[in-house]
Amino acid sequence: MNKSWNKLKRWFIEMGSPPLFYRWSSKIIPWLGLFALIFLSLGFYWGIFVAPMDYKQGDVYRIIYIHVPSAILSESIFIFMAICGFINVIWRAKISGMMLKSAASIGISFTLLVLVTGSVWGKPTWGTWWVWDARLTSTLILFFIYAALIGLHSTIEDKTRADRAVSILAIVGVAIIPVIKKSVDWWQTLHQPSTFTITSSPSMSPDMYLPLLVCLIGFYLFFAYMLTLNLRNEVIERESSKNWVKQAIDLESK
Amino acid sequence: MNTSIYSWLSIILRRDLLIAFRKSSTYITPLIFFLIVITFFPLALGPQESLLSSLAPGVIWIAALLASLLAIETIFSEDFRDGTLDDFFVSLEPSFILVFTKVLIHWLITGLPILLASLIAGIILYLPVDSFMPMVLSLILGTSFMSLLGALGAALSLGRSAILSAIIVLPFSIPTLLMGTSVISSSLSNQDFTGFLMIMGAMLAIGIPVLCLLTVEALLLNYE
Repeated sequence: MNKSWNKLKRWFIEMGSPPLFYRWSSKIIPWLGLFALIFLSLGFYWGIFVAPMDYKQGDVYRIIYIHVPSAILSESIFIFMAICGFINVIWRAKISGMMLKSAASIGISFTLLVLVTGSVWGKPTWGTWWVWDARLTSTLILFFIYAALIGLHSTIEDKTRADRAVSILAIVGVAIIPVIKKSVDWWQTLHQPSTFTITSSPSMSPDMYLPLLVCLIGFYLFFAYMLTLNLRNEVIERESSKNWVKQAIDLESK
Repeated sequence: MNTSIYSWLSIILRRDLLIAFRKSSTYITPLIFFLIVITFFPLALGPQESLLSSLAPGVIWIAALLASLLAIETIFSEDFRDGTLDDFFVSLEPSFILVFTKVLIHWLITGLPILLASLIAGIILYLPVDSFMPMVLSLILGTSFMSLLGALGAALSLGRSAILSAIIVLPFSIPTLLMGTSVISSSLSNQDFTGFLMIMGAMLAIGIPVLCLLTVEALLLNYE
């Protein structure tokens, strides 16, 4: 038992060493890209052309197939980053710091996408681009926190040190985001501004949420694909003085 | 040579307070800044009593957050520049105590003056006298939490631009802002506000160990 556990641990650590990661990730990249493409195109086709029209909102609701997956991703990427940060602070694993950094830019893009698609959706259905609803507000704050993480990383020249600084901040962030969500909720019930809520959507019929599920899987695969690409760039950039990078590039250009 | 934690605490406390009092700008600046920001709101929005007293909770809290951010840089930067911080890290066994004392000092030279100035702010913004007590209580808990967050921000952006630490800290201070204003505005509308105070207290209680330890980690980044 103990022996196989140690073996597993060693395998895990080895997979994270930059040269090995670079080698095995080149094999999975086309597959990730292919599956992301299949799931996304299937989900979008299903959602846009096949799924029935909403009786209240008409065709406008179809933006849900971008909006909801990116909302879910914007939060789960943050949790992923905090886990990376945790590993980086405790075990000083270099690759987890790089992973954190590469995920941040994808996370902030998805958060921006949620905000933009949300206000595009809000204009025809609520008649306004922006409401100080609890969910909208906490997504906006999430966006600021992402911006703080990226801003902090870019100001520290030494990359491994920047990774650790951002890891610490990501840990604080993941602890404080539930508090922010809860307090924004209370703040909203205290003020009671808007009568419409997003949560009141009627339970969806299966032919509407099945394509949503496919889209969600597609978004996750797309995230994995982008993350691997970003991470490979990061690895090459940081280790550019090492010998293995030169060999790998020679091998690829052949 | 076996100095206890408490004597370390009092040594650092005495030293830093002495430095702070020799240079009066450290504790005067946040105070004046706070009052200037408060004065700007009636000037910008008009002097109607009903408007100002309903806006007072938000105005006081925004001014308090900004004023306590103003002095963040001073928490570690001087000691880092002249090498005192290195000395502390070498000689002081639980470096947690160092960070905790620094946070305490930051609160004493920014939070406490703001607390006193908030009474003036309450008067000039026509806040009802019944709301003064909740305002002071929420400010005690909130500015302490801000000092903790500020120490982390200062440690992460040590030797870098001051605006960076503000950008790091401000998004994380939103729960404090919401809770603090909720306390005052609930008391304005005669509602129960103790729940919000308890949550602020809970955040502080969790924040003291967790944020101080993470600040130690952030400071150690500068010594690698």
